[in-house]
Amino acid sequence: MCALPLHLWTLILAFRDLSWLTDRTNAWDAVGVLCYGLLFAFLESVVVFLAASLLGFLTPPRWEPKRRFAVLSIVVLVMSLWAMVSQLFFLMNVHVPGAIIAFLVRSGHPARLLYAGVLTVVGASFVVPGVLVVRPGRGTGVMTGLIDRLGLLATFYLVFDVAALVIVVIRNL
Amino acid sequence: MESSISRRDFLKMAGILPLSLGLPPFLRMYNPSQPPADGRKNVLVIVFDAFSAYNIPIYGYARETTPNLSRLAERAVVYHNHFAAGNFTTPGTASMLTGTLPWTHRAFQLNGTVNEAYAHKTVFEAFSGYHRIVYSHNPLVNTLFKQFTADLDEYVPQDRLFLTADSLVHNLLGNDEDIADVGWTRTIKKGEDGYSYSLFLSDLYALSIQNKIAKVGSRYPRGIPSIRGDNYFLLEDAIDWLQNQIGRLPQPYLGYFHFMPPHAPTSTSIDFYGTFMHDDYSPPWKPTDILSAKLTRPDLMRQRAAYDEYILYLDREFGRLFDFLDGSGVLENTWVVLTSDHGELFERGVRGHISPLLYQPVVRVPLMIFEPGRASGMQIDAATSAVDLLPTLLHVSGENPADWAEGVVLPPFAPTAPDLQRVVYALHPKENDPDKALTHASAMMVQGKYKLTCYFGYEQLGNDQIRVELYDIQSDPEEMHDLTDEAPDTAAALLAVLKQKLDEVNRPYL
Repeated sequence: MCALPLHLWTLILAFRDLSWLTDRTNAWDAVGVLCYGLLFAFLESVVVFLAASLLGFLTPPRWEPKRRFAVLSIVVLVMSLWAMVSQLFFLMNVHVPGAIIAFLVRSGHPARLLYAGVLTVVGASFVVPGVLVVRPGRGTGVMTGLIDRLGLLATFYLVFDVAALVIVVIRNL
Repeated sequence: MESSISRRDFLKMAGILPLSLGLPPFLRMYNPSQPPADGRKNVLVIVFDAFSAYNIPIYGYARETTPNLSRLAERAVVYHNHFAAGNFTTPGTASMLTGTLPWTHRAFQLNGTVNEAYAHKTVFEAFSGYHRIVYSHNPLVNTLFKQFTADLDEYVPQDRLFLTADSLVHNLLGNDEDIADVGWTRTIKKGEDGYSYSLFLSDLYALSIQNKIAKVGSRYPRGIPSIRGDNYFLLEDAIDWLQNQIGRLPQPYLGYFHFMPPHAPTSTSIDFYGTFMHDDYSPPWKPTDILSAKLTRPDLMRQRAAYDEYILYLDREFGRLFDFLDGSGVLENTWVVLTSDHGELFERGVRGHISPLLYQPVVRVPLMIFEPGRASGMQIDAATSAVDLLPTLLHVSGENPADWAEGVVLPPFAPTAPDLQRVVYALHPKENDPDKALTHASAMMVQGKYKLTCYFGYEQLGNDQIRVELYDIQSDPEEMHDLTDEAPDTAAALLAVLKQKLDEVNRPYL
């Protein structure tokens, strides 16, 4: 689950870069950049996995492994989604709507209001799915099923990583 | 027999071994490579970008900007009328490296490269028997280096000496450094784009860089020296690095090192901050030029002071480098050249160098040559050009002359006396297509005491109009008194020479 969002994001951006890299260098170099990106994504996945594992120590011991796994996966996924959103603002050149800025300015405490708003939205995005998964019921089962399916997809990415490693080794011989 | 070192002692010693990795470079033994048996000398060219002779006291400046250069000039051949071939990095540097003028090598657009015919007609090709190493902070120079890589033994990437440099890529993926670096940059650096392949590590990386920057930031009140964006560097680091390189380079070597100061942004060290901001220096007032950005005099004065303070910083670092070369014995078998690719203007409404104007501060640059074994200074007043550097270095090194070079061997190294009627040119053709004739440019020529500048093709002048100025730069070094009306015959004669030259260089492109 750690590998999935990181690899997905890397692949989206790397394919986006592929054409201009090919124009400026050649297809082999452009593939090289993609391979380095995948390798770094793999390393980042390992780091995120270790961080999530450490976070696992903070979960109550009475939770069964499935529930613990589901909660940590939710945390990683939501964090990744927010990280993607923060970059999408730049990528798609999206600006905060003028009406919201005007409202914040009129409030007299724009920074406070902005932080409070962001904290509420971001907090809710973690708490709502987290509670759904933690509470007894279908939440944990749904999440575990989702993890199983996404896990299969992530395995493909790991195959790409192996291919990327081979290409990087060849390039550095 | 009992061992004199116990197991415990051995483990203690092994424990402190890693500390040796932290030993600063100056504690390491200086152990230079052996000089060649055939007696050939090394060549070290140090270029400071946008360093105007106008702002240096040995060339007549009133502010004490270069105490170290003044001291070292007593051991150098100092050229007092040395001219860059262009008014910004690309043409100026390409001329130094190829020994040809911008209208010949055609690298005169921003980030341009030389005509393919000159890609292998460079100082690097001419010194093919030497170990050739280059480095530059300036990206425009790196564009040229990349064109010349076939004739280089070591091309040190620009970011190697940046504060944000990542040794990871260099150390681990050195055989594919360029592409690995692009991959790493796209992954980890959000930069101005605001996005990267990495979702989390890029933010941690940005934080670590901010911490690194914050640590040195307090030493540079106008900001840490930089190219632009987060490309910060310290000249101190560059000089330390260069000292280390000199110790390990195979001899003989040709080293070309092009450092950014005093090019803007002018971020001097705290040691020199404020030195000239409130002094009583007042350069002569010169009218705002119609081709200028029309900056006000107080603005120009403030920026000039910041530039002069930045020169103090580079002067200290060059002094430190020179003392190292002297103390380590490197000077005994090494030619050292100090020069610049172009100058800088702080007058007539212009701050900088990329403008149509070709007044002295932007084209007259320092040139000091330190000859191995020379103990006394020598002053050369004849007009000389950046294109002379290549023929001169080849001559003093005993190498074959470069038949393509347009320069001459400089005095006092030339076997004959300097030609006092020689014409020296400089050019600003940035807006022209390199594959077409020059139709929109500024061209300057110096012959004897006269300097003639011709501006043509500028909208502000009326596209079909030309503007001609003539100065006696010996009696009027500030170019205050245009002689075109008083000496029309001289102006006409020099203009005819310039036009004939322009016709000649334009002919292949018509």
